[in-house]
Amino acid sequence: MYVVVVYDIGELRVARMLKLCRKYLNWIQNSVFEGEITEVKLKEMLSKAREIMDLDYDSIIIFKSREHKWLDKQIVGVARSQIDNFL
Amino acid sequence: MKKSYYLFNPGRLSRKDNTLQFTPVDEQGKEGPCRYIPVETVSDLYVFGNLDANSAMYNFLGKNGISAHFFDYYEHYTGSFFAKDYLLAGKMQVEQTRHYTLRNKRMVLAQKFVEGAAFNMLKNLRYYNNREKDLAQIISQIEGYATQISATSEVAELMGIEGNIRQTYYAAFDTIVSGFTMVNRSKRPPLNEVNVLISFGNMMCYSVCMDMIYHTQLNPTISFLHEPGTRRYSLALDLAEIFKPVLVDRTIFRVLNKKEIQPNDFMTDINGCVLKESGKKVFVKAFEERLKETIKHRTLSKSVSYKHLVKLECYKLSKHILNIEEYKPFKIWW
Repeated sequence: MYVVVVYDIGELRVARMLKLCRKYLNWIQNSVFEGEITEVKLKEMLSKAREIMDLDYDSIIIFKSREHKWLDKQIVGVARSQIDNFL
Repeated sequence: MKKSYYLFNPGRLSRKDNTLQFTPVDEQGKEGPCRYIPVETVSDLYVFGNLDANSAMYNFLGKNGISAHFFDYYEHYTGSFFAKDYLLAGKMQVEQTRHYTLRNKRMVLAQKFVEGAAFNMLKNLRYYNNREKDLAQIISQIEGYATQISATSEVAELMGIEGNIRQTYYAAFDTIVSGFTMVNRSKRPPLNEVNVLISFGNMMCYSVCMDMIYHTQLNPTISFLHEPGTRRYSLALDLAEIFKPVLVDRTIFRVLNKKEIQPNDFMTDINGCVLKESGKKVFVKAFEERLKETIKHRTLSKSVSYKHLVKLECYKLSKHILNIEEYKPFKIWW
């Protein structure tokens, strides 16, 4: 499964959310991550995210796509980060 | 599915916020913008460039079950960092050793490896024979050798036949590949472009096999076809025999025939020939795509990747060793 995760988190907690997401997905822009992830790993990530979040104030939005190739991605301006597995 | 990461650029890999951080460093020693690697998606690291790292990073890799494979300037395999063995099985160890020490048991397995390898090599040759490359003579020669496999009673004798098969097989490379000539197989150092790619590819295949063995209960040091030596994961060599034609040789034919790798991707050294970084990247990318490619498995009736096929091979081997099911080597069935 290929996902794009976007979050809007209060300033106090946002750094922790950033660190959590970095473990599972590739950072592409402020508050935006994308990458290949399994159903279970996503669940694991979200349950950890809930511990960080203030559920009355913060939110996470997940866009799921069955496969990377079904996702049409267009970048206008600067691509902030490479996400391939060749470093 | 976890991914392999390939590190070509020199730089520093460190543990940061419980994930991995890579900071590339250029020739002047200036640091570039860092990149975070999501640790949960890493299966292993292939390190080709210079890597700076500290023990905190290795401890972290170990905890996450990530192995790192290292290669030197001449892209020889130099070694791996493996996390502590997590699948220990005394019974398997004992049985595996027994299959090695009893000659008739060992010969059964050794013959199967050669048989599988020969079959897959023939498959490659037939494919190109149908594409207006005249390989009929080489094919019949290998078929001749292949019939002798089952009659062998000594490993040395079997290795001899295996050597003959491979030599004849490599002779076909000049016909299959256009634009490059191979002449003879040369190693340490490889003398020309095709030989460089074979060495590089075989080593990649070897690392893949090793990594898959690590994820099973098999002991990587006890092998059947190759003599188990010291300081060598020789079981990976056994397995690699079967998969080299499928994974490596097909990739070589592809990158050369599609002209993805050009003569200027190589550098002729004082004694021998090496692949430049540009060439390495192209090859590794093609190899990676090959590993990810999926096929419909007949008995499992689901799609499996080539990489997973290697693991399935380990499972089949374990079953044979534990006398559950007889081992049949992987043969391309399509």
